[in-house]
Amino acid sequence: MAVPLLAALEIGTTRTVVCVGEAGTDTGGRIRVTGVGTYQTTGVRKAQIMEVDHVKVGIEMAARQAEKAADVSILEVMLATSGGHIQTATNSGTVAIRSGDRKVTKEDIEEVNEIANAVPLDPDRQILHTISQRFTLDDQPGIANPLGMGCKMLSMNLLAIHGVKNRITNATSVAKLAHLDVVDVAFSGLCASLAVLTPEQKQNGVVVVDLGGGTTDYVVYSNSTVIAAGCIAVGGDHVTNDIALAFSIPLNRAEEVKRAEGCAWVETESGARRVTLAADIGFEERQISGIALQTVIHARMDEVFRLLRTRLDEAGVLPHLGAGLVLTGGGAYLRRLTDLGQRIFGLPCRIGQLVNVDGLEGVEQPASFATAAGLIEYGRLAYEGKGLLTPIKKFFKGMFRI
Amino acid sequence: MSQDMLSGLLLLGVGGGGCRLAASVAAAYGGGLRALGVDTDAMSNREASADGLTCLLLGGARLAGQGAGGDPIKGRLAAQDDFENLIPHLQGVRTVVLVACLGAGTGGGATPEIIRALHGMGVATFCVAMLPFSFESEARRKAAERVVSLLDEHADSLAVVPSDDLFEGGADRPLEEAVRAAEAALASGVTLLWRLLTRPGFIRADPERLHAQVIGGGACGFGAAAASGPERAARVVQSLGRCRLLRGGERLAKAGSVLLGILAGPDLRLAEVGAIMGAVKGLCRADCPIEMGTVLDAGYEGRVEVVALAFEGGAARASEGRGELPLIQEPPVAEAFPIQPGGRKGGRAKGGSKLAYGATGRGKFQNVEPTMIDGQDLDVPTYVRRGILLER
Repeated sequence: MAVPLLAALEIGTTRTVVCVGEAGTDTGGRIRVTGVGTYQTTGVRKAQIMEVDHVKVGIEMAARQAEKAADVSILEVMLATSGGHIQTATNSGTVAIRSGDRKVTKEDIEEVNEIANAVPLDPDRQILHTISQRFTLDDQPGIANPLGMGCKMLSMNLLAIHGVKNRITNATSVAKLAHLDVVDVAFSGLCASLAVLTPEQKQNGVVVVDLGGGTTDYVVYSNSTVIAAGCIAVGGDHVTNDIALAFSIPLNRAEEVKRAEGCAWVETESGARRVTLAADIGFEERQISGIALQTVIHARMDEVFRLLRTRLDEAGVLPHLGAGLVLTGGGAYLRRLTDLGQRIFGLPCRIGQLVNVDGLEGVEQPASFATAAGLIEYGRLAYEGKGLLTPIKKFFKGMFRI
Repeated sequence: MSQDMLSGLLLLGVGGGGCRLAASVAAAYGGGLRALGVDTDAMSNREASADGLTCLLLGGARLAGQGAGGDPIKGRLAAQDDFENLIPHLQGVRTVVLVACLGAGTGGGATPEIIRALHGMGVATFCVAMLPFSFESEARRKAAERVVSLLDEHADSLAVVPSDDLFEGGADRPLEEAVRAAEAALASGVTLLWRLLTRPGFIRADPERLHAQVIGGGACGFGAAAASGPERAARVVQSLGRCRLLRGGERLAKAGSVLLGILAGPDLRLAEVGAIMGAVKGLCRADCPIEMGTVLDAGYEGRVEVVALAFEGGAARASEGRGELPLIQEPPVAEAFPIQPGGRKGGRAKGGSKLAYGATGRGKFQNVEPTMIDGQDLDVPTYVRRGILLER
């Protein structure tokens, strides 16, 4: 199936990314990114839009870059969203098998799906994704495809990822101000997972932790199904803010020192030396304690991982993570963060690599593009009818002007 | 189940010095004492274990059993790493008496962290903290002073014991010998306290009383004295009144409540108990309640020892009991100074956490919807909420 060009927009807390990609028969089923544009975001805190004008400019600049690189004009985009308002809910449906031979029919599956999809939510919530879990036939759980199997009762659980309607609408509205129509909205964490996981990892059980500037998103797979997801509204910005407050330095200097000297582990050797902050306009040269810097960063990341571990524990998914943790987002590149993850979770932990994606080989920190690249993959799956929502191919007719 | 298990008391030695103290108390107590040691130094742990103390290694993954090297940050992080390992040992424990020597890495770093965590679990903590000798290094002394402020923040009751006050020998004695002598003196006092609480005498001090007094306690003076021969009752009180740890009786005079223990042989007479109580009452305020207990031990024939805990907190507060007091909840977050870690369960009004430097607000998240999880504002730096003292 020839999939048209797709455009993805990620309004991150620190960076706005627009990505153009394709996935047709000539790409061998792989995503080929043909253009990327990035622009520093201002006016977003913890993934929530605070300054519409600033965000609009960021989108325009990133889109312009991507258009130039891909040689297209972007009219419509898919949007990645995140924030502390993102939550999950589970719902289940059960139907009695009516056919005389007690075999599950296509109609039975559609009916149980429909019942499970009627997730009771407050009116201010908007469902982003509904993800069918395995079927249960009478008292036999874990059935992937029950069609033609015999039983009296067919049940299905469903995981819904939802967010506050107004906050999602705010993001689409700003994109509209930047002359981009949003055709679909997807959860950032889910997008990141689509870019970095192999089928084997999804099968064995894995958690993708997308460490963004304002939030930490997570998505858990087991038996090739998303079984848990969520967001903690704490991200790399918090680390920067902690450093700025600890050493009474401006945020931009704190960001620099985090990138250059940041470490998630308190190290005896490197921590023993003093870190010099070079003089700048209105800022005299200063030295700060390396171990204090590491302590501040370690405390924050330790807390984030422990919170995450608690959430996964409460969701009962910790025992299902045979493939460990995969970190994405810019925060994943904090030195020794994988060591910290490994220690706190007692599981293998590594930085995600973009799988099934071409065209981003030369970029710095490729895992920080996981959300945008995964959003392209999400669009492809949706177009091919394998998505987590109703296929959206009808929207794609006018996504670009080439 | 032993009397000790039933008492709800646990003696916890933290760091090398704390473990030595706990081991000394365990040895002097004569078996059955519910005690535990925690240290980052595997060798020190082995020594204390050889003395009969159950020891846990802190920060094994981080420090590989090599100790904190005098760095309280490492001590604290090690405690954060492995506090969970203590939890199985806390079954049925209502009051933990911590003993630690401050000025070094584990005692200084891990003790506040452990107390904070215990506080979070609703366990009352009475910390006996030993300060370095005045002739030790300035850095060690300052490090100890910084830790005292953290302990003061989190412990329900805190007895700060300057080593100088424990040791009255000649100044030319070797440092190690002086340290050991000071530790032995403190261990002797703690042992006496333990016996008082867990081994029934004809007048028994209930561990519950200590529990209540600890909760209401605040700063605490800790002193012991001994005498033998004729007029031993009068002389032991005179010694107690002169005890440097009680500031020559000043601590008793200002105490809000006192726990007094008397250890003696079977020859202890009722008149002597009355004389000791009367004399101690004379050293205290007229309205100061004195809880008293005795331990009779055949080995103390002809001798009498007394131990006194002079709590700053008042009797009324102590008698409130723990049930009516908040257990785990952090206090409400204030905008101007958002962090008040480990709200106390009674006693003195507390200031905020004491940081070496740095602002304590929410910074760039000042006007943003807060990220609240488990009652904590996660926009406030973690190091502030955890009460971490940063090096300059």
